[in-house]
Amino acid sequence: MAPTWTPESTVEEHSDLDRPWVTIVWNDPVNLMTYVTFVLQELFGYDEAKATELMLQVHHEGRAIVSSGPRERMEHDTSRLHAYGLWASYQKDS
Amino acid sequence: MKPFRARGDQLVARLDRAEAGIVGLLLDQLEQLLAADATDVADDPVLERLFPPGHRVDREIAQDFREMTEESLRSGKADDLATVRATLPADGGEIRLDPDQAGAWLRTSNDLRLALGTRLDIGEDTGPPEEIVDETDHQLAVYYWLTAVQGSLVDALVAARAGRR
Repeated sequence: MAPTWTPESTVEEHSDLDRPWVTIVWNDPVNLMTYVTFVLQELFGYDEAKATELMLQVHHEGRAIVSSGPRERMEHDTSRLHAYGLWASYQKDS
Repeated sequence: MKPFRARGDQLVARLDRAEAGIVGLLLDQLEQLLAADATDVADDPVLERLFPPGHRVDREIAQDFREMTEESLRSGKADDLATVRATLPADGGEIRLDPDQAGAWLRTSNDLRLALGTRLDIGEDTGPPEEIVDETDHQLAVYYWLTAVQGSLVDALVAARAGRR
């Protein structure tokens, strides 16, 4: 959704065990904005306003946290996003 | 091409013969890539995009994630691709999809766009070719045509969902 993506590790890793994990969608020049919004609604049950807000955050800020919780669930969410071709990863919340 | 539209629960579009042929060829290419021996396609940028790392910093976590999810991701893509092939009128004509089949078309058309977009190094500033002079122009035109097909399918699915409320 944006011209380029500069590889960078924007989120530092910490070792605190009590912080949740998060699933992040990264900006991508191919995926359609309407498609990203649709997928976020389908996979997470967000209403159109919430899904649109997250999509725009990805578009303008380069990434957005789309879900948070236990590591296993974030792994699952990431794999579901990959099935739809979204550029997603998970990590411990910063 | 007649773009996708919602007809009740069904999603309907129409492709002419040449368009159906192009989709068929793109499906062949994607299928070959998905079935290729890993050593033959190591570092292929399209595969890296279709199977992205689950973690961006920790390689060990990314590797574990890959081992855990790659097989189901690959088989899901293969199943979707088979559904698209089965519902594609080889000589052109009407496409009529139930919601599950539409999901397969949605994901596979996205994979085809990701594959083409990666090969063509598509960026935000890239646009449709003004005239078709070489092979790259031709592929760009195909990419933007696919974008229109997929865009119409997303819009139709949104309309179908609104209609169910």
